[in-house]
Amino acid sequence: MTWRRPHESLTGLLVLGFAGLLAGLLLTAVLGVVWLGQMRRDLEHELGSLEQSSAMGNGLITSAFDEIRAAERYLSAPTPDAEQAFQQAADDGFRFERGLEQLPDLSVEDRVTVLRIKQLQSSIQVDYALAHALKDLGRERDAAAQAAVVRDPAQELTRLVRDLGARQAQRSGAAAQRLGERATRRQALLVLVLFAVALVSVMVAAWTMREVRGPLTRLVTAAERFGGGDLRPVTTGRMLREFRILADAMRIMGDRLRGIVGEVVGEADRIAGSASDLSAASEQVAASSGEVARAMVEISGGAEQQRNELNGMGRSLEHLRQAAGEIAESATRLAQLGEEIRAVADRHRGDIQAASGALLDVREVVQTTSTQITQLAEQSTAIDAFVDLIKRISSQTNLLALNAAIEAARAGEHGTGFAVVAEEVRQLADDAARAAADVASTTAVIREQVDDVTATMAAGTAKVRGLESVAEGAARGLAEIVAAVEQVEQAAARVGASALQNRDVAEHLGGQAKDAGGRAVSHASSAEQVTAATEEQGASTEQMAASAGTLLQAAEKLRSLVKEFRV
Amino acid sequence: MQLIAGGADVHTRCDSSAQALTYRAREGGILHRRYIILAALSLAACSRAGEPIYIGVAGPFSQSRGASMKLAAQLAEQQLRERGGVAGRPLRLIFVDDSGVDDIAVRVAKKLSDSSQVVAVIGHLSSGPTRSALAVYVNARRPVPVISPSASNPDLSGLSPWFFRICPSDLAHGAQLARFARQRLGAARAAVIYTNDDYGRGVRRTFVAEFTRLGGTVLEEDPFLSTHTTAEPYLARMRQRGGVDVLVLATQRLEAETVLRDLRGLGLHWPVMGGDALVGIEADGPLAEGVRVSLTYLADRTGEDNGRFVAAYARANSGARPDHRGAGAYDIVMLLARAIEQSGASRPALREYLAQVGRGRPAYEGVTGRIAFDQQGDVPDKPITIAVVRGGRLVTEWAP
Repeated sequence: MTWRRPHESLTGLLVLGFAGLLAGLLLTAVLGVVWLGQMRRDLEHELGSLEQSSAMGNGLITSAFDEIRAAERYLSAPTPDAEQAFQQAADDGFRFERGLEQLPDLSVEDRVTVLRIKQLQSSIQVDYALAHALKDLGRERDAAAQAAVVRDPAQELTRLVRDLGARQAQRSGAAAQRLGERATRRQALLVLVLFAVALVSVMVAAWTMREVRGPLTRLVTAAERFGGGDLRPVTTGRMLREFRILADAMRIMGDRLRGIVGEVVGEADRIAGSASDLSAASEQVAASSGEVARAMVEISGGAEQQRNELNGMGRSLEHLRQAAGEIAESATRLAQLGEEIRAVADRHRGDIQAASGALLDVREVVQTTSTQITQLAEQSTAIDAFVDLIKRISSQTNLLALNAAIEAARAGEHGTGFAVVAEEVRQLADDAARAAADVASTTAVIREQVDDVTATMAAGTAKVRGLESVAEGAARGLAEIVAAVEQVEQAAARVGASALQNRDVAEHLGGQAKDAGGRAVSHASSAEQVTAATEEQGASTEQMAASAGTLLQAAEKLRSLVKEFRV
Repeated sequence: MQLIAGGADVHTRCDSSAQALTYRAREGGILHRRYIILAALSLAACSRAGEPIYIGVAGPFSQSRGASMKLAAQLAEQQLRERGGVAGRPLRLIFVDDSGVDDIAVRVAKKLSDSSQVVAVIGHLSSGPTRSALAVYVNARRPVPVISPSASNPDLSGLSPWFFRICPSDLAHGAQLARFARQRLGAARAAVIYTNDDYGRGVRRTFVAEFTRLGGTVLEEDPFLSTHTTAEPYLARMRQRGGVDVLVLATQRLEAETVLRDLRGLGLHWPVMGGDALVGIEADGPLAEGVRVSLTYLADRTGEDNGRFVAAYARANSGARPDHRGAGAYDIVMLLARAIEQSGASRPALREYLAQVGRGRPAYEGVTGRIAFDQQGDVPDKPITIAVVRGGRLVTEWAP
């Protein structure tokens, strides 16, 4: 793989570069060695032939001069020694001539010269040999004449040998120049090859650097982007195999991170949404709870006032009982009716208690979800119903008082005091009705607020239905009250027959008033309980809201963190 | 060398210039492979029946010394034709004249080497041209076997595996002359007058060595040249020193004539002898009478084959007698004919055959005697006879 397309991997590129460099250097080295070897051989050859020819030339000229000197010596004093030296020099001369002839790279001109030298030396030797013979024969003059013949050939010989040497030197010079030129040429060529190798190496190195630096920069940029949270896909482009592997790994990492962050962002958004919703709901619940608590406080206040007033009414009724003994029976009936009413009211209280329980349930529900707040709205409806009851009681009371006043008028003088009491009762009833109206208006305000709360709380209506059933129970109780009140009306109609009845009624009424006062007290305490419960609920709701806020903050933080990732 | 020698008589066979040729071993190696391939090609080309077989003959045919060589070779060609050719094919000789000059010898050698039909060359006559031409023959793309009848320079020995000669080297003559002088003539004192060149010095050296070895005394060794008009001082000094039993002239014919004239002028009658360079001197009449010459061949040599050859030669050439060069050329043509018959008409095959003559194959008994080559292509065993000039003719005096 690497070896099939080496330029596509860093290893391949490096190996290719180094191999190329090595090959180039090797080529240069081999060329250098080969050329140096050639040069050395040529030089050795040239030097060898120069040495040979110079040795031969020197030997030749030396032997020629030795020969002449020995010959002349013999002519002046013929001794066997001189004769032998002459022979020896002559033989040496021939030896050197043969050596010269055998030089491999002798030019034709040189050969001609060598042959001429050979001839001259032969001739000189013969001349001297003849001169020596003449000398031996005692023919001195002939010998001198024969020796004189030698001079011209000897001069020519000297000149020729010198010429030969000069030509050899010239040839050697030319050879040296040739060698020098070739050396220069090859040197230039070698430098050129080296330069080419260096150029190729630099190109390969630059290519490698480019192949490394480009992808590396891109990858580093991508990594920095990752570090900065930008997880968008890495565009890699063409790069070396090693980098491609790295880029692939980074791309896969980016893909995975992007997926994870995407999921986290979605989750964070969802949590934030939920927390936000919860927070809002909690705040609303808290607000609503506050409202309810305030309303309950007011209800409580109203009930207290009602109790006080009922206490007053009790006292008036005592006066009435004492004053109107005759209507005692009626009053007893009335008291029975009042008992019934109280029983009904007791049931109502039970219902209210049930409502309280339901409210507790609501608080519990609201702690987990905000939907049960709606029940609070229903509870305000119950308060309304209760207020209605109060109104109706006061209205009934008013009506009873009115009837009592009529009966008192009918009784004449005996009834004057009762009429006053009846008037007082009626006023108390009016006061109670006004207080109830205040409660109703307050409750209406609460309901409006609760309604607002209910509007924001879509869910949880089912729980409220429990409260509805309580309200229905109350409604049924009220219906029974209505029925009882009708019976009271019928009984009251019969009061006219008997003052005793009236007194009893008054007594009953007084007890009833007391009961009403007690009931009002219990109402108040009930309301206080409701208030406390509501306050508790509010605290819980606030806690919940705080928790929701914390959750929201966490969700927001998470979202802001996640937002730093760009996917 | 002949050009430089000027007026010197260089037309004897013993050209004395010694120009050694060296053949580089590595070229030989490359060429050797080529030989094998080319040999195969030429074998294929030359083996067609009926086609003539060509042999080159190179020598100075325009000069008197080359005449006998050409006539004898033509006689051999004629006789082979009458016999029905060689291996069923006619043998044709191509005569090329080298004028005895090195330059021309090189040119004709090139021509013969380049001809794909020439399977061998007979020649050249003398040592100088032979040596020059040999460089061409053996360095050709297809080397040519060369056999010389009379190139006797010692330097040619072993010069190339492609070169053979059927004459002994000059050095053999000096030794044979010494033996003749010492053993036959009983000479105790000798003097040598030699041409001051390679030939003269070589013969002088071998004569002195052998004569001294046999117990003789060499009184003088005097150099001489044809450019000098007299050797009288040497001869006078010899006479003054008590004379000699034999005077050896290791010279060419011209110098010998000068010395003989001086000798006669001094009234001396010492026995005179010389190498085969003196051949031709018998024509000088009384001057040369009694002069002894060492020879490898003489027409009066005994033997039936030689008798028939000399008779046929005389018939074909109006009574002329062949010299050693002619007889040698005749022997070479016949030897090559036999080689072709036995090994085929190709250059390498002929070289192989010639190298084995006398060494693995039987020697060839020719008109010049027994031919058996040694490792250097020489014929060391070839007998050298001593002839004497009697009545203007050379006659065999001693044939050991």
